[in-house]
Amino acid sequence: MNMPATFFGWVAFLVEKYFLDFMRGLGVTLELAIIGTILGCLIGFVVGVVRSVVVDQGASPVSRGLMWVVKATLAVYVEIFRGTPMMVQATVVYYGTMSLWGFDIPSFYAGVLVLALNIGAYMSESVRGAISGIDPGQIEGGQAVGMSYAQIMYHVIMPQVFKNLIPQIGNTFISAIKDTSVLNVIAVTELYFAAKSVAGTYYKFFETYLIICVIYFVLTFTMSRLLQILGRVLEGSRNYELILDNEDEAEVTES
Amino acid sequence: MSEPILKVNHLEKSFGTHQVLKDIDFEVEKGEVISVIGTSGSGKSTLLRCINMLETPSGGEIVFEGTPVSYRPKDKNHFRSRVGMVFQSFNLFANMSALKNCTIGAEIVGKKNKQEAEALARKYLKVVGMSAYRNARPSQLSGGQKQRVAIARALCMQPDLLMFDEPTSALDPEMVGEVLAVIRSLAESGITMVIVTHEMMFAKEISSRVVFMDAGIILEQGTPDHVFNNPQKERTKEFLSRYRQG
Repeated sequence: MNMPATFFGWVAFLVEKYFLDFMRGLGVTLELAIIGTILGCLIGFVVGVVRSVVVDQGASPVSRGLMWVVKATLAVYVEIFRGTPMMVQATVVYYGTMSLWGFDIPSFYAGVLVLALNIGAYMSESVRGAISGIDPGQIEGGQAVGMSYAQIMYHVIMPQVFKNLIPQIGNTFISAIKDTSVLNVIAVTELYFAAKSVAGTYYKFFETYLIICVIYFVLTFTMSRLLQILGRVLEGSRNYELILDNEDEAEVTES
Repeated sequence: MSEPILKVNHLEKSFGTHQVLKDIDFEVEKGEVISVIGTSGSGKSTLLRCINMLETPSGGEIVFEGTPVSYRPKDKNHFRSRVGMVFQSFNLFANMSALKNCTIGAEIVGKKNKQEAEALARKYLKVVGMSAYRNARPSQLSGGQKQRVAIARALCMQPDLLMFDEPTSALDPEMVGEVLAVIRSLAESGITMVIVTHEMMFAKEISSRVVFMDAGIILEQGTPDHVFNNPQKERTKEFLSRYRQG
């Protein structure tokens, strides 16, 4: 078999020969990023909301104590996952579950778990920030009509928080695409892992990694454009129509 | 004599070492329109905010229709649903249309079904002259319009008592008129109201009782004629003279 002579020759050769492997890796990467982001955002929203709960001064001591314990536990979770590298978390979860409970979780699931917990920790902080960024008057408006804390959160605060966090969710997804690459340490067969195998076959490291570099970039760039469009659609129209269905209207509005 | 709707006994409120309300006793009878006047910082807004427990009082009790209100969230929320509040900064729900702002309380707190809630909302939006704007978001409305929607929102709970916390202080002079006109028409319809305001002429004209607060106490109260034309205390005279000059 004739070996390519030039740099680009090698690139073309590797792309052609390992096209399916790259695509399979890409598929796993996307799958990890999508599932990880969705689960991570769910975790983040729940944790962020719970950590933001303002315990009513009139609540019973039992529920206040319970809330304190829950909040403390979640604080520990967030600090640990923000304070350690994801690559280390991946190995600790993957090998730890095995040696502690003799539990051999498939590396893909371990990867998803680590990614989701990681995203959840960061996202919870964004959610907390977004909640505290809402004008306290919104809460008072709800209290004034007699809504409970949970009702105010659900109907008033969270819809606004969610809207403000859409760009953040997009960023998180793009980060997640890149972050999946560290999961190769626990042998998740994502894009970087696929490249590692390919590179080793012909000892063509630069060529191979350049290929996945381009793939990662095209992927994240496309995603960020799509998210921009989505953002604009969700922004909605700023127009509204007056509904003039009763005669007395005009007179009152002018007074 | 009938039981007052609201009775405030020995109400105290401190922020840290700063005592804002000092042993306030205050009653509201059904059908009264009470204006609370006084300089900024005299405790007027804090009094209203303590009454519906947006601020937790440091001492004293609030008795609503003969029953003391406990600080338990459930009691507190029920009490608040019976006492409407209109804020200086409107506090409309930013994520909802004007109509939804009005129906949401009736639906999820008042347990009314969607049709009933909407009927109420349309009725009160009409009262405040805002039904043409029912699909608009708060951010699309002017200050005066927002405040009128906020009043409709409070009315949709059909409260036994409606409180206004400086409802026109954030508005420009033209918009003040439209909001005061709405409040005036409500006063005429017999709704029990407590209004914290700096609009002296307005207070004089619509109130059945005027309360003058100074440095955390109720210094003087009585009919508008008494407080405005014949104040007994030096401090009240001094305060009112500034308004006369202006």
